[in-house]
Amino acid sequence: MATITLDHIRKEYGSDVAVEDMNLDIRDGEFVTLVGPSGCGKSTTIEMIAGLTKPTSGTVAIGDRNVTDLPPKDRGIAMVFQNIALFPHKDVYDNISFGLQLRNFDKEEMDRRVEDAADTVQLSGMLDRMPSEMSGGQRQRVAIARAIVREPDVFLMDEPLANLDAELRVHMRAQLQRIHNKLDTTIVYVTHDQAQAMTMSDRIAVLNDGNLQQIDPPLVCYNEPDNRFVAGFIGSPAMNFMTGEITPDGFESDAGYADVEFDPAAIGVSVGKDVTLGVRPEHVIPVDNAVGDVTATVETYTDVIEPMGDEIFVYLVTSKGATVDMEDPSASGQILMSAEPDAQVEENQELSVVFDKANLHLFDAETKAALAHGLSEPVRVDTGVDTSTDTEVSGDDD
Amino acid sequence: MSQPTGTERSDDETRGPLSNWVDSAIKNPKKVYRAMFFVVVIFFLITTLFPLYWLTMIALSDSSRVSEGVGLLPTGFDPSSFVEIFQQIPLHLYLFNSFVFATLTTIFVLIVASLAGYAFGRLEFRGKRTLLLTVLIISFFPPAAFFIPLFQLFTQQIAFLGLTPPELYSTPGGVVVPLSAIFMPLAIFILTTFYSQIPDGLEDAARIEGTTRLGALFRVIIPLSAPGVATAGILTFIAVYNEFFFSFLMTGTAAQDWAPIVDGIISYQSQFQVRYDLMAAASIVAVVPVAILVVVAQEKIVSGLTSGALKE
Repeated sequence: MATITLDHIRKEYGSDVAVEDMNLDIRDGEFVTLVGPSGCGKSTTIEMIAGLTKPTSGTVAIGDRNVTDLPPKDRGIAMVFQNIALFPHKDVYDNISFGLQLRNFDKEEMDRRVEDAADTVQLSGMLDRMPSEMSGGQRQRVAIARAIVREPDVFLMDEPLANLDAELRVHMRAQLQRIHNKLDTTIVYVTHDQAQAMTMSDRIAVLNDGNLQQIDPPLVCYNEPDNRFVAGFIGSPAMNFMTGEITPDGFESDAGYADVEFDPAAIGVSVGKDVTLGVRPEHVIPVDNAVGDVTATVETYTDVIEPMGDEIFVYLVTSKGATVDMEDPSASGQILMSAEPDAQVEENQELSVVFDKANLHLFDAETKAALAHGLSEPVRVDTGVDTSTDTEVSGDDD
Repeated sequence: MSQPTGTERSDDETRGPLSNWVDSAIKNPKKVYRAMFFVVVIFFLITTLFPLYWLTMIALSDSSRVSEGVGLLPTGFDPSSFVEIFQQIPLHLYLFNSFVFATLTTIFVLIVASLAGYAFGRLEFRGKRTLLLTVLIISFFPPAAFFIPLFQLFTQQIAFLGLTPPELYSTPGGVVVPLSAIFMPLAIFILTTFYSQIPDGLEDAARIEGTTRLGALFRVIIPLSAPGVATAGILTFIAVYNEFFFSFLMTGTAAQDWAPIVDGIISYQSQFQVRYDLMAAASIVAVVPVAILVVVAQEKIVSGLTSGALKE
């Protein structure tokens, strides 16, 4: 049981900055997920919490202790690794009890704890097996048992489910949440899979390029992303973005479609400002189904259709036969729509759509910071940053 | 072929066995490979085992008739030389001395080379390549080049950095110190390769679980590199056990002055006679401990290899 505090953490590898000025407060018993694309610094961050890597500057505190200069073994942590990292020359019992043996626990106490841990991950009766005789999921459970047996203050998990197949991953996801509910220990979890981040966490910390972008509960990150990166990263499939500028009537897109009427004064944005409009696929609605406050009609053609069973992803293009830029599909007029599973859509048909005005997002094109979430009754987002100047986006939310 | 209508059978009869064999070998090349395999195996077996066999024959010969020459069978038969070697001199002490040199050197080399192998194999630091190259270059020096200064140092004739070392001449130190230095580079290279192959995750896991870096080396990395450690250990042990130059010159000639086996074997030669049969018998006895060690260690290497296969 402990809080974790990262104070102005910075890590450089040679001239590369892996983590830049990170501040993070993790509460006691909280499940926080660090999420971001490859190379965003999330693994470096968890390694610095673990003590496997030393920060170039800044301090790490666990509970009330400053642990910046302590080796991993003295930090009261346990860790589960992506590559599982069971000791191949030891059987399951010795793997789980390795940490206890190093701490000279007496045999009875050790047996009791190992039994308990094995029960928790449903491995009883397998204690004399070698790791090589076990399946991937079983090995992962041994690794988790090895972590919980020491009753650490903090659990660190570095992509623990990445090497498992899809079915097992979903199963283990639920298992991990049960374990968290049972033990109530602070957990820091690293993943690049935003589905894991959304489903398991109390709060998500989104990282990009070594900078913390936002730390909030999953649904806040989803509904009110602090900036364009978070908006694009959280949510699958990703949000559609359209560039444009602010006119006295609202938003006018550069491509000439998807204009949105609202009062720019309500969000305190000056006319003429370059902005980006964001809309999630589920808020793109065929005009016939439109209810509530919606934008003007956008004429599109269907391109590729992906039936998922519970929904259909429809790729729309604004001009027929247009080539879609792979790097930035939104810029070349591609709009992704998530339609009802029973919607009647075919490829290459004309389809008029509208956007749900209550769920539009507006971002500053320059600073990428969010300006407004929902344009039916627009309210300025209080990011604590003056978006009219060219300041860095602060990710420190707590 | 004078007979154009001749059948295959009549060809066989006219061409003789060698041409027939060549014919069938061309049709079936595997036959040739097998034949070559046996030729090579027999060649190696003879070159390695025949000297040992002939040594045994000399040892079993009648001591008075050895000078007549020993062929494939002993000249006369007198196995008592295997007893006499221990009666003339305390051969077991000479054996013990060599064994001590080999064991001490192996332990010392394995410990230091493990630390070096860990640093070279698993850490990134400035000057790593240069340092590794230096180790390699030092191993190219002929050991004899070190002998004279070391001899003077160990007999306290000169001082090192203003300090006179304890007199290491005629002690195990006088042999173990230079030989450790000479056989260290090979062990470092072997262990560097093995240690670098252990996944980082295992070391990280051990450190999280409560070991230091050094603890992780001894509890996880070394056990998982058992085949490499065994290889480096055996090579060092055999090399030191067989070593002549330093172990002969850095010690006295009597067993209590830490003289090695070679000294013992040479002492069967007196001013008036050379007891070849005793020398041969002593040589065979000297081989036995190493042979046992290799057989035992080989089992360890094999079991080490299979446990290495469990690596994720």
